[in-house]
Amino acid sequence: MRKSHTIYAALALLALASCGPTTGNSSTNPGGTTPGEEITEANSDMPVFDRFEGELERNITLQILENDTAKSLGYLDELLNAFNEEYAEYGIKAVDANIDQYSNLAEDGPYGYGPDVLYQANDVIMKYVQGRHVMPLPTWKIEAYEHLPESAINAYKGIESGVRYSFGVPVNAQAPMLFYRKDMVPEGADANNNGIPDMVESWNALYKYSKEINAADPSKRGYMKALYDVYFSSGYLFSYGAYVFGDDGTNPDDIGFNKGEAWKGARIIRQLAETMGPTCVDDSINTTCYGQLARGEIFATMTTPDVTNNFTTEMVTEYVADGMSASEAQTAAKENLVIADLPKLPKSGDLSEENPELIDMKAMGGINGYAISSYTDYPVACLAFVNFATSFEMNKLRETMLGVAPCRADVVADSDSAISENIYSRLEDGLITLMPSLTETGQIWTPGETLNKDLATDPTRPASQQKYKEQADYQAGLDEMVRQIHEAITTLA
Amino acid sequence: MKGKTKKIIDILITYCLLIVVAFVFLFPCLWLILASFSSTGNLYSIPGFFPESYSFQSFITLFTDTAMYNYPKWLLNTLIIAICSCVFSTILVILTAYVISRFEFKARRPLMKGALVLGMFPSFMSMTIIYILMTQFQLINNLFGLIAIYSCTAPMGYLVQKGFFDTIPTSIYEAARIDGANNVRVFRTITLPLAKPMIVYTALTSFTWPWSDFVLPKILLKNRDNWTVAVGLMSLGETEFARFAAGAVFIAVPIVVLYFLLVKNMVSGLTSGAVKG
Amino acid sequence: MESERGGRKIVNSIGDYFRNIPAKTKSFFQKQWTKVKSFGAGIADFFAQADWKVLLSLLFCGAGNIAYGQYAKGIMFLLLEILFIVFMALLGGEYLVGLFTLGTKESDPWSGVVGDNSVVLMLMGILTVFIIICFLLLYLSSLRSALSARLTKLKGQKPRTFIEDVASLTGRKFPYVALFVPLLGVMVFSVIPIVMMILVAFTNFGGEIDVPTDLVDYVGFDNFATIFGATNIGTTFFKIFGWNIAWAFLSTFINYFLGLGLALLLSKKCVKGSAFWRAFPILAYAIPGFITLIAFKFMFSTMGPINYYLSDAHMHDENIVDFLGLDSTWWARGIGLFVNTWLTVPTTMLLATGILSNIQKDLYEAADIDGASKRKQFFDITLPYVIFATTPTLISQFIGNFNNFGTFYFLRGGIVSEGYFRASDTDLLINWLYNLSISNDYYGIGAAISLLIFIITSAISLLVYVRSGSYKKEDTYR
Repeated sequence: MRKSHTIYAALALLALASCGPTTGNSSTNPGGTTPGEEITEANSDMPVFDRFEGELERNITLQILENDTAKSLGYLDELLNAFNEEYAEYGIKAVDANIDQYSNLAEDGPYGYGPDVLYQANDVIMKYVQGRHVMPLPTWKIEAYEHLPESAINAYKGIESGVRYSFGVPVNAQAPMLFYRKDMVPEGADANNNGIPDMVESWNALYKYSKEINAADPSKRGYMKALYDVYFSSGYLFSYGAYVFGDDGTNPDDIGFNKGEAWKGARIIRQLAETMGPTCVDDSINTTCYGQLARGEIFATMTTPDVTNNFTTEMVTEYVADGMSASEAQTAAKENLVIADLPKLPKSGDLSEENPELIDMKAMGGINGYAISSYTDYPVACLAFVNFATSFEMNKLRETMLGVAPCRADVVADSDSAISENIYSRLEDGLITLMPSLTETGQIWTPGETLNKDLATDPTRPASQQKYKEQADYQAGLDEMVRQIHEAITTLA
Repeated sequence: MKGKTKKIIDILITYCLLIVVAFVFLFPCLWLILASFSSTGNLYSIPGFFPESYSFQSFITLFTDTAMYNYPKWLLNTLIIAICSCVFSTILVILTAYVISRFEFKARRPLMKGALVLGMFPSFMSMTIIYILMTQFQLINNLFGLIAIYSCTAPMGYLVQKGFFDTIPTSIYEAARIDGANNVRVFRTITLPLAKPMIVYTALTSFTWPWSDFVLPKILLKNRDNWTVAVGLMSLGETEFARFAAGAVFIAVPIVVLYFLLVKNMVSGLTSGAVKG
Repeated sequence: MESERGGRKIVNSIGDYFRNIPAKTKSFFQKQWTKVKSFGAGIADFFAQADWKVLLSLLFCGAGNIAYGQYAKGIMFLLLEILFIVFMALLGGEYLVGLFTLGTKESDPWSGVVGDNSVVLMLMGILTVFIIICFLLLYLSSLRSALSARLTKLKGQKPRTFIEDVASLTGRKFPYVALFVPLLGVMVFSVIPIVMMILVAFTNFGGEIDVPTDLVDYVGFDNFATIFGATNIGTTFFKIFGWNIAWAFLSTFINYFLGLGLALLLSKKCVKGSAFWRAFPILAYAIPGFITLIAFKFMFSTMGPINYYLSDAHMHDENIVDFLGLDSTWWARGIGLFVNTWLTVPTTMLLATGILSNIQKDLYEAADIDGASKRKQFFDITLPYVIFATTPTLISQFIGNFNNFGTFYFLRGGIVSEGYFRASDTDLLINWLYNLSISNDYYGIGAAISLLIFIITSAISLLVYVRSGSYKKEDTYR
């Protein structure tokens, strides 16, 4: 064995000696534009867009990657059928790529196993930019851009070789909403008569009501949510001035989780943990919450609207077990489950304060959309597909079939869904902080989870070992989290 | 009399231990099995260990609702991969172990040390490389690619079987050699029958590995129709936990069946008569 | 007392090992030098004894064999040489150059420009080197065979016929023939990826370098410098390493003896229906490991069934124990140990059952005649026998446990413990490696760390294995 070791070593050394590191990566600016310059139709004569010029390819098959919900609820079939009918004369056929919804284009694409068009979340698609796995899009050729809000478009903008391109067409926005049971709201709970029960108008009221519920019956809880989850818990920090990365999420050197009065948000997380008990610490509540809400063991929770179905299914099962017919149960479940705007936060950052001054709550969100793989042989047809799939009709159909909130303003205006309107207006008002489109975003989760777990565990510790008591403690926790993120970004890069 | 009491106590203790062992191993499985028969459909809505009511619904969905999650197809793929790998691996492993245990040749000791050291490399680092290798051989989305990897890397684990062959007395072989049997015949007529328990062990383990492996098929099988059960189960949505449990329980069935088919051969092996002489 | 003496013995033997390193190194190089000298002498002999017919083989493999009447063999050699030359001309040359340059032309997927894929070039380059080595061996054997044909003829005998050659494959050459397929498989799917990983440790692959858009470069020892340069990495490494060693020893010990104990228990004469009793561990064995881990994680979670009973159906939530939480280092380690035991004991039991069934019954018969007690029989016959037969397993189990990725990845992922750099206090080196490299695609760094882990583990296990009875005295039971 020694001998073969020496062979490997010799080979490695030989290889090292023969070619030292070559320096200087080619990062020239195509088209001679200045760094970060925006692309418009006027300066669009860059070679990158050449592939979208020319005739529509004929007699081809496009592989489309969609998410599992779109498939299981039948939307993808509708979309493909409509598209194939429209383009039948060109012989273009779009089919389901039939691969995992989280497939990594960077891994599959270069070797010819990736889809032509893919539908994924903005942070996922933007990870493909650096390796040029997704095409920069000629936005002026896509009709949807006339109706999309700036904030949604920006989620897919990235600088590569000094130019700020768009890499994906936003389709729907994801942001947390409050889900609660109507029948657990006591009579006359709407003191100000605005149609919203008092206990879901502010976190202070919800906090108080949660304590009441638990005091009356220890096996029941008011508001419940797994607090470790960075996606849902970061909203508390953002509401008091924190952010992920500086310069609108483009500067990873400036990590903002500890900025502004973020400590107030951290204190709110800990205060919520007090009312929730030890079960909020790990992720089990994420999967049990549907059943618990259905059985009335908890009053409210926070999650994204795409899982609404899970709540109603569980509630229907409960009602049927109680002796209702299937259709009665369906109506009753729809009636009883309320999806509402997030409660407002106290300006003071103290949930136990009576009659506080209130501020809007910010939340972390994401935008799903279509992108075109650089490895496609049919870019023009792909563009046609993206144009078709992001049209008014298709987005409208998507909203009604899947219950997701569209990004297109005209679809939202035409919609009678309160959720769509709510998310759209929050997006426009800047109440939704989008996950930054940088690879460094991948480093925020573990340190974030650790801090959230620490905050959530704290109330269960014996009084002498509790870590978080005053402002400085919270600030120290946040600083440590930021330090860990910074370390993770810089140490190995 | 005293000896008899002692014996009874011994038997009692033995059975108590056996019951404890059975309980420890059965309980988590039983929980999974019960959960898969839960009628509420959601594993996570069960209060405590026992569901409130039972039904076959999860299993029915598992095999009939195949539009998104084609469990029967995945099961078939897994079966093909596991059976082929099992056959090839067992042959290669037994052969390797036998040769290294029985023959003296120049490369023998270096090979043994080499295999030991190679087995120590953290394997998932090489997964990326395996993926690229398979793209070059055009074996992505191909069940045969997986079979090749499982079978070809199996001889690395020959040590257990070699240890076993080392305990077979040489006298038996010498007798056969005197009768003029060549190596192939000695292997077929003497070694194989003697090594039955070891072969069964090898077959069982080399069936189980591909059967329950997740990482390799996940990397090499892109198309959903080519997936194995493990990959498919992991792709199940958040709300499909009863189906997950049902799929997990059902995948255990062939291995248990295989065990009961093979158990006879595991304990009969060398009889004391064969060794004497 | 016994164990203390054993411990001292191990310490002494390790000390001896290190003391002997200089002498060993010297003798190693002396041995290599002798080999080189004898190889040189072999070449000289060859030219001294060869005639023009044999020398023809230097250019055309097998020409010598054909000249001496071994047509089939000669043509086979010749065909293989032609195949090799065609391969090198068409692909091999390019790959070989690529192994050193790692590509010169960048790709641009945006404009559809397909350039060099560094990683593919590297891999195929290694494959080419492997093929060249195989060819050289073939080349040497063709020369040797041509010469031996001549020498046989000089002695006045007939060179061996093809049929005789084939017959020798099941005789003298049997080991090599039998091992050909396994060796080839292991080479392609095990050795080549490992060689490649070792090379990757010296490149900047991963992170900013995204294949195939960017080209990868060799960077020498930069990755190792990065690892050792970061101050916080060192302390984390030693903390994790300590726990990792303890974990590997503990879990191997527990698994081994519980598995063995279970097999012995089931083999007792008084146990009726052992197939039935054995079915329970088999059931555990039959459910894929990752599913079991997910199930256990849920079982120990705060909303899981165990806490359901602890908290009396959530009437007393203050009784809930966060088994796998941030503060629960020892709970989590204990649960990890338990779960891992649950997963691996069935395998050990199966193995031990197979081995016990083969134990030579006459050993016991003799002991019975001598009047040895059952306990004495166990310690004098059974245990040494089983340990002898399973030492290799023990080593591979140790390594398996040392590099046990799944247990803590599934049970307790996503936590950074105080004083650790991107790891929790239950993480093993392999989990840490994953956090540092794979989850961020830093392949170069990852390969460098795995190379370090590899060096540590292989040193430990080679040391143990080479000194074990089943390696040194293979014929104890023959």
